[in-house]
Amino acid sequence: MIFSDTVQLSFRNLREAKLRTALTTLGVSIGIASLISMVSLGVGLQEQTVGRFLKSGVFDSISVFSRLPGFEFNLRPARRRATGNRGNVSRPPEKPSPPLDDEALQKLAAIRDVKEVYPTFRVPMEIKFGEFSEFSSALGIPMSAKGEGVFQKISYGSFFNNDTEDTCMLSLDLAGRITDKDPKDLIGKEVTLGYAASNSQPAAPWTQFGGISLQRMEKRYRIVAIVDREPGPTIGAGLFSPIMIPMRKAREMGGADLTNPQAFLRQLSQKPSYVSLTVKVRRPQDTDEVEKKIKELGFNAFSINDALQGAKRAFIILDIILGVIGSIALAVASLGIVNTMVMSILERTREIGVMKAIGGSDGDVRRIFLVESSIIGLLGGVVGIFLGWLVGKVINFGANIYIERQGGTAGQLFFIPWWLIGCGVAFAVVVSLVAGSYPAARAARVDPIKALRHD
Amino acid sequence: MPIILEASDLKKYYTMGESVVRALDGVTLGLQQGEFLGLLGTSGSGKSTLLNLIAGLDRPSGGTLKVFDRTVNEMTRKELSMHRRKNVGMIFQSFNLISTMTARENVALPLMFAEIPAAQREQRADQLLESVGLSGRQLHKPNQLSGGEQQRVAIARAMANSPAILLADEPTGNLDSKTARGILDLLKELHAREGKTIVLVTHDQALASQYVQRNITLLDGRIVSQVPA
Repeated sequence: MIFSDTVQLSFRNLREAKLRTALTTLGVSIGIASLISMVSLGVGLQEQTVGRFLKSGVFDSISVFSRLPGFEFNLRPARRRATGNRGNVSRPPEKPSPPLDDEALQKLAAIRDVKEVYPTFRVPMEIKFGEFSEFSSALGIPMSAKGEGVFQKISYGSFFNNDTEDTCMLSLDLAGRITDKDPKDLIGKEVTLGYAASNSQPAAPWTQFGGISLQRMEKRYRIVAIVDREPGPTIGAGLFSPIMIPMRKAREMGGADLTNPQAFLRQLSQKPSYVSLTVKVRRPQDTDEVEKKIKELGFNAFSINDALQGAKRAFIILDIILGVIGSIALAVASLGIVNTMVMSILERTREIGVMKAIGGSDGDVRRIFLVESSIIGLLGGVVGIFLGWLVGKVINFGANIYIERQGGTAGQLFFIPWWLIGCGVAFAVVVSLVAGSYPAARAARVDPIKALRHD
Repeated sequence: MPIILEASDLKKYYTMGESVVRALDGVTLGLQQGEFLGLLGTSGSGKSTLLNLIAGLDRPSGGTLKVFDRTVNEMTRKELSMHRRKNVGMIFQSFNLISTMTARENVALPLMFAEIPAAQREQRADQLLESVGLSGRQLHKPNQLSGGEQQRVAIARAMANSPAILLADEPTGNLDSKTARGILDLLKELHAREGKTIVLVTHDQALASQYVQRNITLLDGRIVSQVPA
């Protein structure tokens, strides 16, 4: 019997027992719905926490440092514990690394899955606005950071239009200290930034630190945006600083990092190089691989992707627990399938006998019953996913009303990713195939002579 | 005419609780191609058991049964179902049509098992229905047909895969005598027109003798008489 005929025959058999088919399918739907809503709750909660961090842009960046002799770089004890042997293997050899110069930058940029590489320019400076004055530091922001990380949601104003104008963005903290009034009013106002620059090489000062004479410079910068830091991990902090200026402006100021004497001395004594580079990868999950490759090149690399490993593990366990709870209803539903199919065999014993008498093989009969139960599974799976989605929506709606009343931010507690839809339907079919296998085997073994006597 | 079916010392025993029922107790017989054979006997004589063995619905307990030089005893379940599909066509006392299917679908069902494409199945089913005098009834379901008509559908179904042997188990048992004659006339016609080998199981000796070429009477699982011998 060819497959399409088997499917057609199975469909017609199911139609003959509409009510029973509908009830059994509904049972499977409820099973799948409970599984889907449980798992989507797990996924949703994970999105709400881990996912939010991932989007903050901290997790797709790796800080690359030059390894200085005598400077033990040991920021990652957690990782070594977590990964055991691997931590030791990837531990960089204790020799001075190649200089972090433009050549190194090109090399890093060539690594697979690296989106971009830019040097870190953190310039210590004084910010003045009217009576207000504070010593702080400015960070060079690449234009590509627009719409990423903390710049996804800018509190007031908007990201730099270009990197040629003297414009800056301020942190909400700093803005709050500058003015007692609404920070919003600062947009378009100018602040005075005072910083130290070497006056020997005005054209490209960031590559030359031979000249020791530094000069205090002052420039007026227009505030274009006020940015708030994402609530989340403070280590690493990504691209965020009280004062943020275009990368190009930071370069022009002279990247002399005066906050770290070692680094400064190195800049003065050796070939020109950067203090650190930031490597952005395409996707957060590429971080590990890229980090390993950077270390193979002999640099120190650091990302805080690992900080979330524990949380991710916890969520996997949560997902499993929720999945098991959700599966209980499905297990009951699968018993429903067994029951329905066994009943159906009893009712159709004579029919099975006739089919065998006129040339149906055991395999034909088995397949008819297997296809019938998988059709129930397929229909139940599809309806169940819809039901699960609906349940999630309803609970989400209610929960968000409560959360907002409590002063929290509403979010999607239930999240159904595409893979869950596919897995849900596939799981429903597999479960019903397993449930149908016993009745199908039983139908296949029906003795035609007894069956034909059966009424 | 060549022998297409050969049974020698064929036995079939059933165990009913403690006791052994000897449904067939050493039957030896040969069947020529194109023969119209009547199997007579009271109920429990073993005639239906013999028919079921020939049909490949059951396996012998002893002796051998050869159909087209193949020993039915040794066939696997799969081979038995192939035997039922290709070599024999069964007609039952209670018609055994599938009630949810139309006449056409019932006739086409064996063709479905034989993996014939749908369009060809329909065409063949309509042809067969016409040949049993049921043109115009293709879309009727069994409960919309009279007993005689249902049995005609069953005969058309038995013919679907063009088997060499038709096995009819009391095909007129549920029909009034006039309708019964119509069915037997149809079988005779198929025998004459298409040269089908037919085994007719019945308990009505008088009726059977008007149609069959040879009568075998069974009693307690043994052959007691053959006419003509």
